[in-house]
Amino acid sequence: MTKGQHSQAPPDAAEAREIDAVLSLASVPPLPEGAAERLMARIAAEPQENKVVALAPRREAPRMSPWRYAAALPLAASLALGVYLGAKGTLDFMLPSAITGSVALNDDAPDDDLGGVGEANAYAEESLS
Amino acid sequence: MADAGLLEAAAEGSHAAFAEIVNRHFQPVYRLVWRMTGGAADAEDLAQDAFVKLWRNPSQVREGAALKGWLMRVASNAVIDGSRRPRASALEGAPEIHDPQARPDAPLDREQAARLVDARIAALPDRQRQALSLVYFEGLTNIEAADAMEVSVDALESLLARARRSLKDSLSAEWRDLLGGLAETGR
Repeated sequence: MTKGQHSQAPPDAAEAREIDAVLSLASVPPLPEGAAERLMARIAAEPQENKVVALAPRREAPRMSPWRYAAALPLAASLALGVYLGAKGTLDFMLPSAITGSVALNDDAPDDDLGGVGEANAYAEESLS
Repeated sequence: MADAGLLEAAAEGSHAAFAEIVNRHFQPVYRLVWRMTGGAADAEDLAQDAFVKLWRNPSQVREGAALKGWLMRVASNAVIDGSRRPRASALEGAPEIHDPQARPDAPLDREQAARLVDARIAALPDRQRQALSLVYFEGLTNIEAADAMEVSVDALESLLARARRSLKDSLSAEWRDLLGGLAETGR
């Protein structure tokens, strides 16, 4: 590098070049004689820990038979029959009165009071009087 | 064959493939360890340890392209871990790299200058020495060196800057002599 170039360069760059130059003075250690052979001799005596083991191929899942859906037919028929009979009330005599009686069916309420709101009003009036 | 192929073959137990890995990478790993240990007598053993670790489980290296960085990381971390314990050479009080400052009045020849620079590099803090060795002496890019050191590129650049500053400060008394010697030898 010439003096002219040096004076034009920013001080940081010049200092960096100086440090690089000094670093270039450092030793470059040669590889010791027979180092690779010694390493390979050590490797030959070392077992590997993580051998790759070939796994058995994965078994294919068995195909489902279409006949298995046949079991759903009687279940669906039974459900449909239950809904039909329940709606018609044919078998109500077999059920307990707690389910089929007038209390459960709210028969004592006026026809226009489906939710028992009238009773609530009556109670409220009683409490006021 | 690329490093990835060699690693794959080594994982299947191929000594020939592993010998090729050794052939490609042992010298730079040894140089790194030598520089980081200050030229310790056991530098070869420490460099070997990184390769033995690789041989035991080659699948530790996920990508073939990362092999050199992985070896550098394992070897240099082993040096740093070892330096936290008293080393045999330190106990004996006989550092491997001798500081030629013992003869301050004598002019520095090329070999003495090299030993002086080696000694001052060896005296740098571990991480600074590691960064300097990886980037300056082993030619890794900042990204590769940061990856090998498991730090960000910014952190690596900071370590490098501090290393270079520390080195210059520690050589301030000899700085002009060293540069003058370089000028004389035409470098």
